[in-house]
Amino acid sequence: MKTVFVNIERCVGCKQCEFACAVAHSRSKDPVQALYEDPLPRKRIHVEPGPVFSTAFPNKCRHCDPAPCMQVCPTAAIYRDREQDLVLIQPAKCIACAMCAMVCPFDVLTYYPLGNGGPARVVAVKCDGCAERVRKGLVPACVETCKVGALLYGDINELVQAGRLREATAVLVAATAVAPPPSPVPQPVALWRSGGTAISKLRSVQER
Amino acid sequence: MNGRFRQWTIQEDAAKMLEYAAEQRIETVWDRLAKQQPLCGYCEMGLSCRNCTMGPCRIDPFGEGPQKGVCGADADVIVARNLGRMIAAGASSHSDHGRDILETFHALAQGKTTGYQITDEAKLFRLAAELGVPTDGRPINEIALDLAEALLEDFGSRKEQLGFLGRVPEVRRNLWKKLGITPRGIDRENVEMLHRTHMGVDNDYVNILLHGLRTGLSDGWGGSLIATELSDVLFGTPTPKMSQINLGALKADHVNIALHGHNPMLSSVIVQAAQDPEMVALAREKGAAGINLVGLCCTGNEILMRRGVPMAGNHLMQELVIMTGVLDAMVVDYQCIMPAVVDIARCFHTRIITTFDKAKFPGAAHISFEANRAYETGKEIVRQAIEAFSLRDPKAARIPVEPMAMMTGFSVEAILQALGGTPEPLVAAIKDGAIRGAAGVIGCNNPKIPQDYGHIVLCRRLIENDILVVVTGCSTVANAKAGHMVPEAADLAGPGLRSVCKALGIPPILHMGSCVDNSRILVLAAALANYLGVDIDQLPLAGAAPEWYSEKAVAIGAYVVASGIFAVLGVHPPIFGSKNVVQLLASDLEQVVGAKFAVEPDPERAAGLIRRHIESKRKGLGLPFVEPESIPMP
Repeated sequence: MKTVFVNIERCVGCKQCEFACAVAHSRSKDPVQALYEDPLPRKRIHVEPGPVFSTAFPNKCRHCDPAPCMQVCPTAAIYRDREQDLVLIQPAKCIACAMCAMVCPFDVLTYYPLGNGGPARVVAVKCDGCAERVRKGLVPACVETCKVGALLYGDINELVQAGRLREATAVLVAATAVAPPPSPVPQPVALWRSGGTAISKLRSVQER
Repeated sequence: MNGRFRQWTIQEDAAKMLEYAAEQRIETVWDRLAKQQPLCGYCEMGLSCRNCTMGPCRIDPFGEGPQKGVCGADADVIVARNLGRMIAAGASSHSDHGRDILETFHALAQGKTTGYQITDEAKLFRLAAELGVPTDGRPINEIALDLAEALLEDFGSRKEQLGFLGRVPEVRRNLWKKLGITPRGIDRENVEMLHRTHMGVDNDYVNILLHGLRTGLSDGWGGSLIATELSDVLFGTPTPKMSQINLGALKADHVNIALHGHNPMLSSVIVQAAQDPEMVALAREKGAAGINLVGLCCTGNEILMRRGVPMAGNHLMQELVIMTGVLDAMVVDYQCIMPAVVDIARCFHTRIITTFDKAKFPGAAHISFEANRAYETGKEIVRQAIEAFSLRDPKAARIPVEPMAMMTGFSVEAILQALGGTPEPLVAAIKDGAIRGAAGVIGCNNPKIPQDYGHIVLCRRLIENDILVVVTGCSTVANAKAGHMVPEAADLAGPGLRSVCKALGIPPILHMGSCVDNSRILVLAAALANYLGVDIDQLPLAGAAPEWYSEKAVAIGAYVVASGIFAVLGVHPPIFGSKNVVQLLASDLEQVVGAKFAVEPDPERAAGLIRRHIESKRKGLGLPFVEPESIPMP
């Protein structure tokens, strides 16, 4: 199963995935023209701040299976696309009742006007896995634009394995006292994050 | 104090206004910072470059994505270019301010102004003598004109070095010469920095950063110093006086005018215009008890130092002061004035009046400042404020606190006078260890740091440990509101500093002015070095900007360090994307100019760094010292 995997410690909060996502879902697919479209194209990935400065998490539809949104949709507007194993929405059937938003474990359902050829109407909008792009052999737009490798597209088991290998190394280092491998976060990023952490600490100490 | 806003500010007046803002759903700088989260890591690390349209580019700090921009610039070059441009923007701001003062001074010398006069003739003569302008038997206007011409030359590119460099210890001047960083012309260094950071010019990060130091020096020993010295000539060299501070400086029954920004040129005239009997009569006619002026930011510091005009607050108070409901006009010149003040003023009767053609705000009234009719302009502005007073809702007054007292006015001249005309008593106190050293705590507020926490805690720890503190800019307001800047605050200081302060009747934290007046700190440091026959980097001195936000603070950091003074920053500058740049600025620079930068957001730890540094300098000079490493770091 192929998916967009988030390498959490890599995200630097630049929000370029949000912009690329909106452009990929515009009519023109052009970053300048997209800004003049009506209705405006909307992002379907949301980079939210973490608990301290200098941390962030790109949140989007995880295409659950079974998908709670799909189970509660009263009009069956939400369906599973077996070709790419995605949870998709048929705008024409959507009645914007927000049932899907209530049950979504990730709070990634949003409601905006969508044209789709007909007159614009507010419907549920969320990640569609960039199905069109993937069909053309491209990776999802958010993954393409992410230059720090926080968003990766690939087989879920392979992507998870990378993390498992790192944990295995850490465990074995602890158990056998061999020299530890270099930190997965390079020094520039570690120093930058330490600044955010220090400032967040000052703020939380004050709050108490 | 209500704990709700404690992670935003530690000041009572600010917290009370924030409660009101929350109730009224008025958006402030802190709300906007929250909405900006998360901030872009590339930009915070200095790894994004938008200097050309082959890009914009960014470097992956994790090492797997792009490591070079389209042109081939790596992280070192991109970070250095970005920092270089920050320094140039900061130095340009101070220096353009200096030029505006100089142009007014030039016009005054030609008799083309109203509302200005040469207030400190003795200083004019001293400056003229320093720059080789003949003074004997000449009319004062001719001397002023020649001095103005000589200083205008400093902005250009026809000189080998700036006019005031004679104040710098010779050994430091020689060092600058050897490194090729002697500042030659104020505009020249800034233009050259923009040139060097264009694609394909200076591709050596060390070379860019060295020019960054030179650009900073053209500010500290050039643009800022000219602004300070000529402001003293025009408006008077500050002398110690008492004043008041915080939102309590506003008066419910008066017409309240806030003077906000950085340039004292117009605000000094407004101080005169507000005392004009015609204006006072008009205010009374409209039912006000009088006209009350308050300062904000560095314009406030300028008129506080010279006229004792009370200050309403520092950088992060500029939105909150409008919410008191009793501010009739906010007169702004330039720098650090948030575009947001116009939006907030729309919720109240407050008029925002812009005054410089280079700084317009949509939604504000614009009254153009011209030196040839400055006094008339000043009166027009006061008249507008009085008109706004009639529109005030008298029930809406929310002045949250009583004002605090503070002492101001410590120019270098005033400090020397307080010492009896010679630095000897200060030097003696440093030599015997009663005073361990001195620190300049300067710079802004930044909504990332709880407002004024960095300034207040750092300064408190320094004075407790017998380190004399001088402050400018936003740090002044923070410390004065904490009660640190009255002579009685000597009781908060360590025993050595306490006895010196009590003997002289001064506070342990001295107000030296606005942010261009950081040049006063440089001049004082150079004077002490010259007096002792050593270089500035040998002195037990340090600088700190615990809550800095502005490009100007980066320029100040550059000239402070290039002049040989250790500088501690409380907010991470956008350089951490390059290990090499960090290594140079935080370590290797010490072998080059005898000083370096440190970054430490926690003011308790910053105080530890400064104490250790000062003791190591005492050790170097052969003075009694405490082993630096033995000083605990919290």
